[in-house]
Amino acid sequence: MARARTTKKLAQRIDLNYFKRPTPLKRVKLWLSLLVPVLAIIWISWYAFHKDARVYSSGRMSAPHAILEKQCAACHVQKASVFSAKVQNPACLSCHDGPIHHVNQTSTPDCAACHTEHRGRVNIAATSEKSCTECHANLRTIGAPSIYSQHIHNLTDGHPEFAGIRENRRDPTTIKLNHALHMKAIRRGPTGPIVQLNCADCHRAAAAKSSWTYADANYASGSSRNETLNTSASNEDALSPHNPATGRELMAPVTFANACASCHLLSFDKRFSEGVPHDKPEVIHAFLKKKFQEYAATHPSELRSARDPDRDLTGKPLAPRVQTLTAAQWVAVRTSDAEQLLWRKTCLQCHQLSFNRNSKLPYVQQTSVPSENVLPNISEAVVIARWMPHAKFDHEAHAGFTCVSCHEKALRSSNSSDLLVPGIKTCQSCHAPGPDHAESRCFECHTYHDWSKRKEITPTFSFPPLKTGGL
Amino acid sequence: MRIDSTQRTWAIASAIIFSASLIAYIIYAHNSIQGARGGSSAGLTFGILGFAFMLFAALLGARKRVPVWRLGRAQAWMRGHLWLGTLSLPIILFHGGFHFGGTLTRVLMWLLIFTVFSGIFGAVLQHYIPRVMTADVPLETIYDEIGNVRNLLLEEADRAMEGLCGAIGCSKTSTEEIQRAGGFTAMRPMAGATKGGAAVAPAAEILLLSEEESTPLRRFYFNEVRPFLERPAQRRLLLSDGGKAQLGFSGLRTLLPARAHTTVDDLEDVCEEARQLQKQQRLHHWLHLWLLVHIPISLALIVLGAVHAVMALKY
Repeated sequence: MARARTTKKLAQRIDLNYFKRPTPLKRVKLWLSLLVPVLAIIWISWYAFHKDARVYSSGRMSAPHAILEKQCAACHVQKASVFSAKVQNPACLSCHDGPIHHVNQTSTPDCAACHTEHRGRVNIAATSEKSCTECHANLRTIGAPSIYSQHIHNLTDGHPEFAGIRENRRDPTTIKLNHALHMKAIRRGPTGPIVQLNCADCHRAAAAKSSWTYADANYASGSSRNETLNTSASNEDALSPHNPATGRELMAPVTFANACASCHLLSFDKRFSEGVPHDKPEVIHAFLKKKFQEYAATHPSELRSARDPDRDLTGKPLAPRVQTLTAAQWVAVRTSDAEQLLWRKTCLQCHQLSFNRNSKLPYVQQTSVPSENVLPNISEAVVIARWMPHAKFDHEAHAGFTCVSCHEKALRSSNSSDLLVPGIKTCQSCHAPGPDHAESRCFECHTYHDWSKRKEITPTFSFPPLKTGGL
Repeated sequence: MRIDSTQRTWAIASAIIFSASLIAYIIYAHNSIQGARGGSSAGLTFGILGFAFMLFAALLGARKRVPVWRLGRAQAWMRGHLWLGTLSLPIILFHGGFHFGGTLTRVLMWLLIFTVFSGIFGAVLQHYIPRVMTADVPLETIYDEIGNVRNLLLEEADRAMEGLCGAIGCSKTSTEEIQRAGGFTAMRPMAGATKGGAAVAPAAEILLLSEEESTPLRRFYFNEVRPFLERPAQRRLLLSDGGKAQLGFSGLRTLLPARAHTTVDDLEDVCEEARQLQKQQRLHHWLHLWLLVHIPISLALIVLGAVHAVMALKY
């Protein structure tokens, strides 16, 4: 008879208490359900037992604070009878001063509002854009309205053009320089070869070590220079809280000795191969007198001279055909001639010269000794080293780019009063929000705290106890 | 539980909660100075909401332990477990601003991810496998009883063989029989259990084959049938494969007289049932083994989550 399967027979195969018996699956499930949570408790208790609160940390500390990773209480100060131990400003200010941003700001955020910790080994000074735009997107100030742009959202949205360009400022320098001319192939000196100058032949950072192509060692040791620099030194303090300047951020002022002397010779007389010092007129005058006096002493025959008809100029009184001068007269005449050359041509080529009200640029008066009160005043050079006093810029960080890719106006500028600072669009071509661009957050160029107002800090921690957990 | 139209209400509610949370998160993350952080007001709100969802999901276990509690239908709890448990992951990601944070929070995030994804994996299995089981295992029995049923099948096969070939030295004594709940005796061979409905009955027909006639059957039984019934999980057995088993039994029938074919049919039927039970066992493992991951780590998640909540409020 064939095998029959009925519901009743099937039911009879089943033990009705089967669910009371533990099966291997149920048993494993139960044990794992006990074991895993218990392991979790043991794991977290192990940290508690060793008083290691790092396990509760929401992330690693920034590199400067890494030493505090075991020292939660250094920042998380718990007050008596208060459960919360959230970080308060005094904990930060016990180590760092945080000078105010502006006296007329409407509110001062907590330190942690901008400098967020426990975000890993990040630059804690690299604050978010929102930290700044929180106020600057709709700037409100106490008292008088702000002179700054009031709706800045980021570098590409609302940031104004740089002040110098926006206000069409002129370079106040008194040095006359035609950039366009110097960027073309040009003759090196009166009889020198044709050369092509590079920007770096004249413009280098102060810390640059390489030798100057067009320098003249005779001028490098000069005692003084008639150059007054406006480097906005006070702003350096305000902008640089911690990092010492490397000397490679800004271009050093161009000096005659390093950049000009090789081509622009300061020759003053055919009798001498050397030039006058690149110095004040008084120094030059004394130099000339000394040189001619020495020459007269060694060349007495020069005191008697015949007139050169080829040099007779119309409208000028003629000198005698043969003239014999005393040594003093000869020195005075030669000095005057040399100064005429210098004041009228050589110095004037680059400098602005002015004379006292009662004097004028003297012509040669061979019958009389020129007085010394005709020495000119040479205007101060006024070289602006930092054009954006509220921002930092590092030429070294941009060393991979050619100078004219940013300062393209240098190729066309014929007047030294032209402002050759690139506009904000040049910066925005690389620095913009988004992953495909260079950093564009505000801190890249600006500093929130006015470090010129910093206060000194009294040290709180001592090193060995801090490292070993004793604070 | 199947994911079907009966879940629509929960699905819509979950979608609304998720959308609202997502919009809130985008606004909050966009407007906060340092980005989304768990310690901010919005971050804490997301954290509390996410942990509440996790707690609700975890309470399903407690609800199952005490089924008589009148705390809503078990089906509703299961649906809540499924949807709110899944929602807890994005809500907690919003809480942390998609940062995994420090040691404890990172452990918590990975526990949550494993819990949610193992749960989703389980839900998918629970959706499909019952259908497969209905189609492929018509002789399905209670999982916990598979071992017993398999023993009964072996016993039944032994008795069928004894009915045809005489003693084969495999039948159990009455003392080995298992007393079942309700006073029933377990050893109930299906074939021939017709007289008086006795709980235990011997084979009804005794069709003895001669020694010579029964040799192929004995050989096949001891070489193929019995090893398969004793260890059905063992691979490479002829009878593990339905097609090969059919060929094997067909070949056996050609070697036996016609009066033995009924018994051979019974043996083939027994093997087919054992094969289905083996498949049921395999499907059942797929259906439930993920719980060995899901439940323990979800409990660890709740424990460590509570620790995190307290310590986060402190710091």
